[in-house]
Amino acid sequence: MIYTRPAAPDSEDRGPRMIRPRELLLDARQLKKCFGKRPLLAIDSVALYAAEAVLLTGRNGAGKSTLLKILAGLESHDGGSLNYRGVQLNRRQHRNIGGKVIYLHQHPCLFDASVSTNVGYGLNKLPKNQQQQRIAQALAWSGLSHLAPRNAKTLSGGEKQRIALARAWVMQPELLLLDEPTANMDAESRQQTLFLIRRLINEGMGVVLCSHEFKADHRLIQRELHLNAGQLTERMLNPITAQPSPPAHTAPPKQHHLRLTEA
Amino acid sequence: MEILGATTSDAIRLLLSGNTELWSIIGISFSTTLKAMIIATPPAFLLGYLLSAGRFPGRWALISLFNSLLSVPTVVIGLLLYILLSRSGPLGDLKLLFTETAMVLGQIVLAFPVLVAMSLASFKAADRSLWETARTLGASPWRAFATLIYELRYGLAAACIAAYGRIISEVGCSMMIGGNILHHTRNIPTAIALETSRGEFSQGIALGLVLLLLALALNICITYLHRRSEALS
Amino acid sequence: MTTALRTFLSLLLCLPLGVASPLLQADTLRLATTTSTANSGLLEAILPEFQRLTGTEVQVIAVGTGAALRMGRDGDVDVLLVHAPNAEQTFVDLGYGQQRTGVMYNDFVLVGPTSDPAQIRAQPDATSALRQIAERGALFISRGDDSGTHKKEKQLWQLASTAPAGNGYREAGQGMGKVLQISSEMGAYTLTDRGTWLAYANKVDLELLLQGDPRLFNPYSVIQINPQRFPDLNHQAAAAFRQWLVSKPTQQRIADFRINNQPLFVPSATSAAGSLSDLTDRSERKTDLRQFSNSFEANSGSIKRKIEREMAKVGLLVVDQRQVRQAANHFKSPE
Repeated sequence: MIYTRPAAPDSEDRGPRMIRPRELLLDARQLKKCFGKRPLLAIDSVALYAAEAVLLTGRNGAGKSTLLKILAGLESHDGGSLNYRGVQLNRRQHRNIGGKVIYLHQHPCLFDASVSTNVGYGLNKLPKNQQQQRIAQALAWSGLSHLAPRNAKTLSGGEKQRIALARAWVMQPELLLLDEPTANMDAESRQQTLFLIRRLINEGMGVVLCSHEFKADHRLIQRELHLNAGQLTERMLNPITAQPSPPAHTAPPKQHHLRLTEA
Repeated sequence: MEILGATTSDAIRLLLSGNTELWSIIGISFSTTLKAMIIATPPAFLLGYLLSAGRFPGRWALISLFNSLLSVPTVVIGLLLYILLSRSGPLGDLKLLFTETAMVLGQIVLAFPVLVAMSLASFKAADRSLWETARTLGASPWRAFATLIYELRYGLAAACIAAYGRIISEVGCSMMIGGNILHHTRNIPTAIALETSRGEFSQGIALGLVLLLLALALNICITYLHRRSEALS
Repeated sequence: MTTALRTFLSLLLCLPLGVASPLLQADTLRLATTTSTANSGLLEAILPEFQRLTGTEVQVIAVGTGAALRMGRDGDVDVLLVHAPNAEQTFVDLGYGQQRTGVMYNDFVLVGPTSDPAQIRAQPDATSALRQIAERGALFISRGDDSGTHKKEKQLWQLASTAPAGNGYREAGQGMGKVLQISSEMGAYTLTDRGTWLAYANKVDLELLLQGDPRLFNPYSVIQINPQRFPDLNHQAAAAFRQWLVSKPTQQRIADFRINNQPLFVPSATSAAGSLSDLTDRSERKTDLRQFSNSFEANSGSIKRKIEREMAKVGLLVVDQRQVRQAANHFKSPE
């Protein structure tokens, strides 16, 4: 394999990104989606690659969330084909893509259980001690270890989103679909969430981001996909062959850093 | 008033004295209703979920069918089952009429629409993102369903309690297809009907007290669960 | 969560889900009978003995005779103990049942409020009393449930050549005990079997107003279901039950069954006839019968012929002259 995933999830001290051939993860052709009789999406072709950060833009109601949910196997499509690593997915395979491709809601949904149970939700097939280890890693990664025993329902909006990110990160998905992860957040929470997202991208996780926050950040985002009237247009922002992005561990937001030291 | 006081104290004495006949009646009531609930609940919740999330033809017809089944009188269910289960009826070979199994069957039929309609309301009120989150984190549909059940446990428990309340106090269906046979199919409601017609009011009151206490306990449970689920959302 | 779930699941598994197996039911006998035998407590008094002797458990379903016959027709019960001679005869004639055997009898009585607004106390017989009730428009509660008592009541109205549609006529559609309670609450007349009446006499505010009319004779028979129609019923136990009911000791038990020191039923089976005559020697038995006769307020002579006629009319299998004579003797005033 040309590109290997970092073995230890928290090894963020990697050197600058290497130049490597793009590895096709998920692609779709002639993708159609209708709501009732009204066509919502009619996408000729879209391809997503491993370890690539893509920004998805479009007006409200353009169908960004629907597209992400189709890619994550949470919504069915009404026409066209979806391929995973070049192999066409049938209906069942498409629906069961969860775990490899993870979708995060704008308002994350945490289960009525402790924070650590939430983070470990997707790890149920691992032995107990490994689960504990991975959960601890994920909580440390998100800087929220001190919340582990709390009931997830009692967290603030920003904390919930970060726990949701940790819950996805702990599974090391190949593709993470983030739907407006920082909408309706106060400045501090937004900073902390964005910090985690940057970290994700720099660790080499494939990310599709649907957000207004990253528009200017061309160092992180390689491509922008624009959804308009059901059509997808593509713009290269930061071709992977261009200048590599700087290491991720620049400086965490001040608040966050304080908290980490407190904890 | 004097009669009421005297019979009530008689009733309490009967209950406390461990009258075997009385306790056998109470036992039958609880064993049949619990069995019915255990059998009816899983498929009813599954159907409630499918009706809330699925998009298939006939969905609305099914939903309105179950909503109207909520108000079907128990005696009508009893009559239909009687005709079906009678030795001369289509299911006569099963020899179920006048057995405890027949009563359980009747109670399943009575509890099912309540469980479906109330769980449907619960599932509908639940955020769709709950299911999606579970699935996208790699949970199988069954595990996601179990998660959903757990998340909605207060609402679903209230559905169970409402269904249980319907079948534990139901007299028409049990009387018709159970036959009110002592030690076999005589449950609390049919026994109360019989004891009243016999003029044995104290037995009737003793059994009525058991039902009253149960109703009180169930209502406290419902209120508690309601407050819990309100507090969570 | 998982431990709680596991506990719940293990609890589920522990609960036995009773699915009735035909094998388990082999030693039970399902008896459809009238509310009068069940509510009076007679069956509770005698059935444990049957179970002790045969190991067969009798499950009693107490309904009106009409419903009981219907259950027999549909094969939902194994054996019947009912009291509607004409309907029983039809039931047997149509091939639904067989081995119809008389077990015991008592009689019907007319009861009503102590004030007796229709003045039926003074009437010579049941039909004139009913006519009086209809004419005065007094309240009368009918069973209205096609039971044996209801059939008898309809027959009496017919004999009285009065339509029972008077202002005061109400159909309750309930068992005998319930109807007595309704009559008591409403201050109405009703026709009841003596057994239920005795069981309820001190629970209701009614008085026995008319009795002794031979047309009020109330015989109970046991009927087995035709095995050709329903081969898989418990016919063996049904036959055993019929034989046991008419056996000497059981007939004795029926005779011994009393409420408020009053006998409710007179055994009438053929096999017991001999034993009855034996028993007349015993003074204890004599007093019972004397009491029963007293309560019938029967005068000797004509009543014997009336009973003979009535028994022949209803076509009881057991019409045995000796038995009839015996029965009639008991109606006479003690010598």
